[in-house]
Amino acid sequence: MSASSVTSRTEAPPSPAGGGGVKQVLAIALGVLTAIGGFVDIGDIVANAEAGARFGLAHAWVLLLGVIGICAYAEMSGRVTAVSGRPVFDLVRERLGPRVALANLAGSLFVTVLTLGAEIGGVGLALQLATSVDYLLWVPVVGVVLWATLWRAKFSLLENLFGITGLTLVVFIIAFFRLSPDTGQLWHQAAHPGPPAGEDWGTYWFMAVALFASAMTPYEVFFFSSGGVEERWSSKDLLTSRVNVFVGFPLGGLLAFALMATAATVFHPLQMSVDALSQVALPAAVALGKLGLAAAILGFFAATFGAAMETGLSSAYTVAQYFGWAWGKLRRPREAARFHTVLMVAILVGVAVLMTTIDPIQLTEYTLVFSAVALPLTYLPILVVANDRGYLGRRVNGRLANTVGLLYLAIVLAAAIAAIPLMIVTRMGGG
Amino acid sequence: MLIGFDLLDRQILDRDGEPVGKVDDVELALDTDGTPYVAALLTGQQALGDRIGGGLGRWIADIARRLAPDRDRGPIRIPYVLVAELTSAVNLSVRREVLPDPPLETWLRDHLIARIPGATDAT
Repeated sequence: MSASSVTSRTEAPPSPAGGGGVKQVLAIALGVLTAIGGFVDIGDIVANAEAGARFGLAHAWVLLLGVIGICAYAEMSGRVTAVSGRPVFDLVRERLGPRVALANLAGSLFVTVLTLGAEIGGVGLALQLATSVDYLLWVPVVGVVLWATLWRAKFSLLENLFGITGLTLVVFIIAFFRLSPDTGQLWHQAAHPGPPAGEDWGTYWFMAVALFASAMTPYEVFFFSSGGVEERWSSKDLLTSRVNVFVGFPLGGLLAFALMATAATVFHPLQMSVDALSQVALPAAVALGKLGLAAAILGFFAATFGAAMETGLSSAYTVAQYFGWAWGKLRRPREAARFHTVLMVAILVGVAVLMTTIDPIQLTEYTLVFSAVALPLTYLPILVVANDRGYLGRRVNGRLANTVGLLYLAIVLAAAIAAIPLMIVTRMGGG
Repeated sequence: MLIGFDLLDRQILDRDGEPVGKVDDVELALDTDGTPYVAALLTGQQALGDRIGGGLGRWIADIARRLAPDRDRGPIRIPYVLVAELTSAVNLSVRREVLPDPPLETWLRDHLIARIPGATDAT
């Protein structure tokens, strides 16, 4: 970043922090939307409820572990982006070189595009709940609407609309309290991690790795840092970045926890298992009636559509940043032809995968194996650059950020190594 | 400056901060007393493919060569004198319009993106 372009980056946009209360709420929409894609996208909505139904709150610690980890790394990547203007995949390429970065690109792109397909299916499933029209009929419609939205709409409009509407999922927090749960029992489950009678340790750990990997999924940092560039963050926006991270991700984790806890309250005592979106919505309907159900469906719709935008844009961001192409929604499509072509192809591939009638919820579980390659290769360069004074000057990592960063690198590596054997041994958590 | 650490694989920006490409490779030359110096930055998939090497690299470079207006043009070359400043990016002193167009961008713009309504609208 040359001196002249740094000034233009800081002077050009009206600062969002300068506005009134509404603007301040909207300033954290990026963090909220990013977190929704990580914690309550279609795979996680069902996985959290399934974990709650089968294991009670015995996986609650995994959500906490995931929230801390993604906060640590999103904070680092937000800081690097604000200070140097470089999004995460630029760092991956610079620090790992073209070959290893290409391996990361292939792995994370595979995960992200398949997840995109799953989210489009998730939007279809939410629409199926509302209309009783089969989700497969909705899939092409959703694909076209998604593409048109990403082609035309402003980035800030997208994040505000879907970040805020996704928060309708707080209905599960309200439902949890209305269900008058047996808190002693739930606390006992949360404090004694492990499989209850009838479940085994293999399945328990498979669910734990799945929930952790999706909390730390690489497209979150790609999207978050690229979103920072789209919003023209500069050093002045470090606070905005931090507030986004430390409000957005815990909020996402809380919504995921509410899904787990309501399922643990309603389904676990009955020893019922959950494998469909309609069942996940049931606790909200039981506690709050029709309105609760409507809010749950709206929340599912917004969260999955938001996650579809996040994964779609992330696919195009990473490819463009690997090759150094012009990218982003802040440019006219004509000025970023390669970026918009990748976006279009990603949506087409996602829709095509779903049209094979593969189960969108299972699809997100398969992608876990491939994120195994991408996770360490994404987080290592962030940690390295966050310590580089050439990028960050005096704003390099402190001791706390480095300790947490190194610790999570080890956890991510362990989870990546354990994922495939666990998947084979437990037959995808089937037990 | 270490070429491998501070230059290769960095983002190149023009004088307005618009992305030009990555430093996919560099061209070295020898001055009169035999000291090597960086003569030019090479950018584009042709340079990248040659640097990655192997079957995959050849494939990437071949596609780029096929799309180029002139097959023997070689990779896009930016003389090092045009570099104004090295920071977390390589900042040029010129606008990107004066540099050769990336062939893939031109092709996709003319054949696909510019034909869709709204392609020139600012969002």
